[in-house]
Amino acid sequence: MRIPFSGPFVVPALLAALLTFTAVAAQADQLADIKKKGEIVFGVLGIDEPNSFVDPKTREFIGYEVDLANAVAKQIGVKPVFKQLAVAARIPELQQGHVDVLAASLTHNKERESQVDFGLTHFVTGSKVLVKKSSGIKNVAELAGKKALTVKGGTQGPNLLKLVPTAEVVTFESTQQAFQALQQGKGVAYVNDEASLLSDFAKLGAAGKDYLILPQNLNVEPLAFGIKKGEAAVKVAIDETLRALEKSGQANQIFLKWYGPQTPLKFPKRNFKIDSDKVEG
Amino acid sequence: MPAFDFSLLLSGHYHDMLLAGLRLSLQLLWLTLLLAVPLALLIALLRLSAVAALRGLAWLFVELVRNVPLLAHMLFWYFGAPEILPEPVREWLYARNFEALAAVVALTLYTAAYMSEDVRSGIRAVPQVQFEAGRALGFGFLSTLRLVVLPQALRVTVPPLISQTLNLWKNTSIATVIGTAEMMYQASRVETETFRSFEAFVFATVSYLFVSLLITGLASWYQYRFPARSL
Repeated sequence: MRIPFSGPFVVPALLAALLTFTAVAAQADQLADIKKKGEIVFGVLGIDEPNSFVDPKTREFIGYEVDLANAVAKQIGVKPVFKQLAVAARIPELQQGHVDVLAASLTHNKERESQVDFGLTHFVTGSKVLVKKSSGIKNVAELAGKKALTVKGGTQGPNLLKLVPTAEVVTFESTQQAFQALQQGKGVAYVNDEASLLSDFAKLGAAGKDYLILPQNLNVEPLAFGIKKGEAAVKVAIDETLRALEKSGQANQIFLKWYGPQTPLKFPKRNFKIDSDKVEG
Repeated sequence: MPAFDFSLLLSGHYHDMLLAGLRLSLQLLWLTLLLAVPLALLIALLRLSAVAALRGLAWLFVELVRNVPLLAHMLFWYFGAPEILPEPVREWLYARNFEALAAVVALTLYTAAYMSEDVRSGIRAVPQVQFEAGRALGFGFLSTLRLVVLPQALRVTVPPLISQTLNLWKNTSIATVIGTAEMMYQASRVETETFRSFEAFVFATVSYLFVSLLITGLASWYQYRFPARSL
């Protein structure tokens, strides 16, 4: 949902600016403090399946980012503690020191780099395109001059136009109407967020063989752990853990556990690697 | 609240998008009007026909169309109806601006149903003896209608038809649900891309209001210039 007259980032950004100036940098080394306390506090969203959510049986936080966070705690040799945060409160809570690390579906973007440091990108999401195989389209660039269908008000249409300015984007009130229009042949392509697109694709059942998900992401939203600015030792601990998970293949297993073919999201495979903390502007 | 940004409306990419929307809305208006008025006349005549089957058919059409929301008509003509067409016809249609075409079909049928009732009232306002007098003078059925009844009937029908035109103008906005790139559609596109909701919808509101007032003005002028003659 969008609030028309206040940018969604205005309030958190102001808070963050205020806190940066007032908070006294007490700890010289946050990692030493974590080890002394014997616990590391992760800020999670807790209602964001499958990244972090509550297991209805055990009442514990579980999920993709929770598994990665547990691995980090194990590497440092301390007990992991999870604290649930609201989306807008994430960065201020980190800067105030109420949590040590954010594992809260935090998008790594250039604007935020002045406020927090980021670990290695551990998940990449974005919008994708579904086409009928009969259209012969194999990549996004071939959508030039073609009709693409999507939902009104989202970022899907604008993201496609950024890549293919001559595509003709037709929008509907819901993603399901746009999806219906694709099935009826009213356009050659259907654009949606990757997770939703995969679940729509699954709904096609046997007819799915006539459709193709184009490999490219229209936009890239890298998710990463958020680390308090300047806490290099914490970042090293996190990045080392993630690199080790990637190397041993465990990172892929954790991905498949939460996003893979056996899950409702049914991602056929992982199409990124955990190896970089750089993002494009 | 950020200041109202007029520059968005006066020039540039978004200005062009909004103007394109206004243009398509106006095209929907006149194209629908062009098709709906003759259709309404035909349905009104069928409803007054001496053949019971024709009367019944016209009655059924009017009641079916008038008693279903225009939104449902739009969705039906865009998503539903074309599915029964043969594949090559569908492909031919979809390769064109089918969003606008389906909107014109829905608007035409919907508007014609309402207008036909106005035309029928107008015809019924002409005393039966006028028709009988025409026949007595040796005119055929159609000639009597064309030369005696309709000229009187249409004069009293024009004001309600202008009022229906006003409704039609506002109804064009419903076409946004089937992806027709008319004014409301373009306004929400500009909103999505710029977050300038206020400017985009002020443009749409002022445009709808301006054209509506023109139509209302036309109705007042007509009634002043051509008052219904006492029959």
